[in-house]
Amino acid sequence: MARIRFLILAAALIGCHASEQHADPSPEPRDDYGTRLAFGVAPKRIVSLNPTTTEILFAIGAGDRLVGRSQYDTFPDSAKLVPSLGPALRPSVEAIIDAKPDLVILYASEDNRPAFDRLRQAGVPTVAFKLDSIEQFRRDTRLLGRLTGDSVRALLVVDSVSATLERVRLATVTLERPTVFIPTWNKPIIAIGGGSFMSELLEIAGAKNVYASVPTPSLAVTIEDVVARNPDIVLVGPQTDSTIRTSPIWRTIPAVRDNRVKVVDLDLVSRPSVTLGAAAVSLANLLHPGIFR
Amino acid sequence: MTASRWLLLVLSLVVAAILAIAIGTINVPISAIGDALRGDQSTPALVVRSLRIPRVILATLVGAGLGMSGAALQGTMRNPLAEPYLLGVSGGAAVGAVLATVVGLSFAFVPIAAFLGAIVAVIAAFFVARVAGSRGDARVLLMAGVVVGAFANAAIMVLLANAEPNVVRNALWWMMGSVADATWPQIEVLFGYVVVGGTALALLGRRVDVLALGEDAAAGLGLDVDRSIRDVFILSSLVAAATVAAAGLIGFVGLVVPHIARGFGARRHRTLIVASGIIGATLVVMADLLGRVLRPPAELPLGAVTALVGVPFFLAKLRHLR
Repeated sequence: MARIRFLILAAALIGCHASEQHADPSPEPRDDYGTRLAFGVAPKRIVSLNPTTTEILFAIGAGDRLVGRSQYDTFPDSAKLVPSLGPALRPSVEAIIDAKPDLVILYASEDNRPAFDRLRQAGVPTVAFKLDSIEQFRRDTRLLGRLTGDSVRALLVVDSVSATLERVRLATVTLERPTVFIPTWNKPIIAIGGGSFMSELLEIAGAKNVYASVPTPSLAVTIEDVVARNPDIVLVGPQTDSTIRTSPIWRTIPAVRDNRVKVVDLDLVSRPSVTLGAAAVSLANLLHPGIFR
Repeated sequence: MTASRWLLLVLSLVVAAILAIAIGTINVPISAIGDALRGDQSTPALVVRSLRIPRVILATLVGAGLGMSGAALQGTMRNPLAEPYLLGVSGGAAVGAVLATVVGLSFAFVPIAAFLGAIVAVIAAFFVARVAGSRGDARVLLMAGVVVGAFANAAIMVLLANAEPNVVRNALWWMMGSVADATWPQIEVLFGYVVVGGTALALLGRRVDVLALGEDAAAGLGLDVDRSIRDVFILSSLVAAATVAAAGLIGFVGLVVPHIARGFGARRHRTLIVASGIIGATLVVMADLLGRVLRPPAELPLGAVTALVGVPFFLAKLRHLR
């Protein structure tokens, strides 16, 4: 199943790639608000308000042209040297305009649309990417490369990440796949759903998300529902780890009682970014100890 | 109220509690309930012992506390809309809880902050009423509570306006009320407040009967009106604040349960307060059960479901109110 899905994905990507190269006149590339993307002069002052796009910009060599980031964009380390313009959602339009950008990149959620519209009305070139899945990472990194004039570096980044993901997938494809539950929040309990890149990463790393069948990136669940799904492994961040091990409520989950809680490196796996390959390797090592050295 | 009606109320609560322990996402065999009580470590027994029994007991205490304080306040204030939340308890508690969340205190501090917030708000309402010149006037006290509540709402909006999304989510979750995280230490604390506070309120029932005649009439009958109002006010605020600290904001119960109790024929306040406690407990236990089985795998907010469950009861009993 995973193989078939990968092939379809690969086919889709090849198709998309071909259309770009042959300069297909019909569908021009658009961002996730449906705005046509204008490629031409490479921007010199970029504002990126999304940890993922900021990290991608640094990876493709456009980091030194960043003049603004969100307070959450702290990867790579050098991103912290870029002035923070505050929140990534519902950002301050004035703060952005004050940075005098010639390209603004927002996260394409509905609550960013008013800021997006006002920036464009003010004549600031603005694009918005959703960037929640591995496929979106591949597509948007290439688009960011074209937007910033760093197409070649962008293709190299995508190829390198894809190659690592494929290597991990092949290494785990024959192994037994444990079922995994990833809580991201405690009150209420929020689980990673099938719509998240984390769910895709689990598949690649040789496991299965217990909520893979849910199409949304995340969902609220009850503890009883988790107990009923009986995950083999619970994956948590370092802070959650100590909380759930001692909680009588969480200990109703057999995996928590039997010490099958594994601590994941949140810095690595929390963004569908250039770290996707490294994240897959680290997850595979966690779920199938000793598979990579 | 007749003995058969008392029996009906108590039976409803018992049946609701048994259903709430037996039903859930996981099908547990009836034997698991016995296993759970014997300390068995199997998953069904743990689900019953660590998840369902604590939340049913917490729901019972929360409902009982809110029902009793609502009944006592409505009589004392001679106002069918009076309830602890209207006196600033909910607003103050919410400010405390949101403040604790915004400044990044751990979850463990939220109940304490909520309790303190509720007490501060109630004292503020009392103080406002005193400045207005008539601490003992129930209407002034009620208005002071509403004003303090409005101030609290504004404070919450200011606090949340620029908070991080995670903080907003925590705060909203808390404000929607839940007994999902019920733990035994929490239950022990609330048990003290509800049993001691509830008993005291029931004992004050006679004085509330007299107050309900009107303040002048009550004073004419030799009642210390100021002191009586203050005692009821403080006791019901304390009980309500404790329920809020344990389970967040669960609206509707304090307001509507006393009316349902009157529909059952409770007239004297001692009867009314105790009956409201039992009905409130049944309502919250049922609402919690519905909240967790209606839309799996998620859970509906308890504070909303209490209204969804309570409204039909309220409408059915409405004709008795005329």
